[in-house]
Amino acid sequence: MPECENPLWPCAMSGAAACLAGFEGVTVVIHGSSGCYYYPATLLHAPLKGTFILENEVIFGSEQRLCEVLEELNGDNKKIAVVMTCVPAILGEDIRSMLRDYDVILVDSPGFSGDIETGYQKALSALAPSVDPGTLGINIDGACLFDPYSNGNVREITRLLGHASVPVGTIFCSDRLERAGHAAACTVGTNEDFASGVGTWLGSTLGLEEIKTTFNRIGALFPESDPGPVLEEIDHEDERIVRACDKFLRRFDPPHTVIFSGFSYATFAAYTLKHYLDADIQYIGSRNEPGATSFHVGHVQGFSEVKELIRHYNPDLIIGSSFERSVDPKRAFIGLTPPVRGTIRLAPHAVAGISGSLSFVEDVLNACMDLRK
Amino acid sequence: MTLNPLPLNLSRFGGCTITGALSVTTQVRDAITIIHGPKGCAHHNFSLLHATALDNDRISLPDLISTGLSESDIIFGGEGALRQTLEGAVRQNSGAIFVLSTCIVDTIGDDVAAVCHGNLGIPVIPIPSSGFLGGTFHNGVNNALNAIADTAEPCEKGPYVNIIGEKNLEYEVEENYAEVRRLLGALGIPVNVRFLRHSSIRDISRLGAARLNILRDSEVRTVGERLQYRFDTPFIPSFPVGFAGTIRFIQEVADSIGVKSARAVREEKSLQDEILAEFEDIAGSSVTFDPPGMTSDSLSVAREIAGHFDITIDHDGCMVPLQVSPPIGTNGIRHLLHRWRRSLHA
Repeated sequence: MPECENPLWPCAMSGAAACLAGFEGVTVVIHGSSGCYYYPATLLHAPLKGTFILENEVIFGSEQRLCEVLEELNGDNKKIAVVMTCVPAILGEDIRSMLRDYDVILVDSPGFSGDIETGYQKALSALAPSVDPGTLGINIDGACLFDPYSNGNVREITRLLGHASVPVGTIFCSDRLERAGHAAACTVGTNEDFASGVGTWLGSTLGLEEIKTTFNRIGALFPESDPGPVLEEIDHEDERIVRACDKFLRRFDPPHTVIFSGFSYATFAAYTLKHYLDADIQYIGSRNEPGATSFHVGHVQGFSEVKELIRHYNPDLIIGSSFERSVDPKRAFIGLTPPVRGTIRLAPHAVAGISGSLSFVEDVLNACMDLRK
Repeated sequence: MTLNPLPLNLSRFGGCTITGALSVTTQVRDAITIIHGPKGCAHHNFSLLHATALDNDRISLPDLISTGLSESDIIFGGEGALRQTLEGAVRQNSGAIFVLSTCIVDTIGDDVAAVCHGNLGIPVIPIPSSGFLGGTFHNGVNNALNAIADTAEPCEKGPYVNIIGEKNLEYEVEENYAEVRRLLGALGIPVNVRFLRHSSIRDISRLGAARLNILRDSEVRTVGERLQYRFDTPFIPSFPVGFAGTIRFIQEVADSIGVKSARAVREEKSLQDEILAEFEDIAGSSVTFDPPGMTSDSLSVAREIAGHFDITIDHDGCMVPLQVSPPIGTNGIRHLLHRWRRSLHA
């Protein structure tokens, strides 16, 4: 891995913690130093535990400390998940043997093993999620605690599935632990960067077109479902968005836009802006490895690349995190990517679902118009 | 329980040494900081510094470069990656480069100091900060301040003071400095260097010019001692705390620099009397404090304030807020009293 100036994306250890801490009934123990503990603890706002190892435990072995922590946690009737950080991972200790007397999940996801998505997937694999043919409904996935929109996404897709008379299966990863092993046979996504891979994929819920396709598929596969109300709502809200965007375009040019986000959200933003505003999507700087798209895209990992791209493209509108906002606070900006600091958000906002598209377009129009006042 | 961070066992829960070191090095405007370790360590701290900067109404971000160690670097050694990153950083024409080590590079045995040694054309300053292997957050702060202080040379002294070891991640950092500067202004004494906050390499070179160093608090005492040894500069061990402590601070600073303090003391006592009159309505109340995490200085200031207002401290009293670090100077107490009044009248 090459050097990187101001890395923009969290490490694998944080990803593992984000996955596991989303499940009720799991106690997550970060096996490492206090420094490694504090970041996911503050990022995820989840009650994580830690071993807070010290130098002597690195020299003489961390078994005693790890077991001491596990003993203290014994009796709270929760499954313990131990997440390895960089130093314990290279000490050469046989942690699995150490833990043989405990009923724990061990996730080997040190920071140097990759980015947040890597750790998230490793942790999810360690939980061994599986489909239970007896479970009704459809799973929702992509709900990662790291994503400030995940709570809003889950609420929104739960609402839409309810409108379509479809029960919700397991929510990956924001559910009770036992439901991970009893997932429904089909799944819809809210953020494919954190897809679970469990069940048959029915489609995404990012963007109105995608939602329409996904709910048509649900209607075809589930005879007892009724996607009609959802499809009607999509048509109605689509019309409202078109009207608002059309009015904007009567006075203003479409925004020249650069987008910095996870690939899934970034492509949602790009398609939505192109579709409704004929926006010029100058560049997508994907935080993770990008997939196939017709837009100009690259894997942007460091802040210096962000600054250079913004300088190069000179966009009207920047979509990204508060890192991107700091480059030039005078430009129109939409926060879509964590971290979105310096903004107070108490209500659960969505990116997925119909509400997600409405909020996104609303934010874009207001930001672009505010700039021109 | 020892699974959650409590302030009682600082060696285990004292935070990351790199974060402490970065809270210092990122305040040098014309320097670059390299974090020798996996990308995650740099991201965690970059994100944290971003958050605290926004809290202080600053939107600029520090220049941190991660050597981005991968699994193969961990196996075969990361010195090559550091060397390569250093070469790239030198080309950026900064005033200095600070190199911070992480837990993992100390564990695998990279010789960071040796890689930094050599004529690269600009100062390259290794700072021991290998996470929990190097100590706590405060060790990181002290290691960074000491390493950077060593770059300055003795110079001619003048009637100035240096401010040493401000807590750059503290929410009230600028307000605390403003209070100290107000008190120094009353004595006609200018600040030479804020070591280290919003400073440049050139500012740091003047570190030895002050006649007195004012430490933020006792956590940077070793830095004060080192500066005294190197530049023969005496120090006051803390920013002013409490009404009486503030008066004492004015007198001590004046004595050290050799100026008269009577007028400044009289004006400060007058301001303190105004505050006592302004908050007269809370006199005679009954309060209680939430002590975990508070320093003894915080509690002693709270007791001093309570004494001025005949406030009873009682378990059944109204819970009023305290700060982890005590309020600074007379105006710090005024801010705290507003919060007490809000609680008492809630």
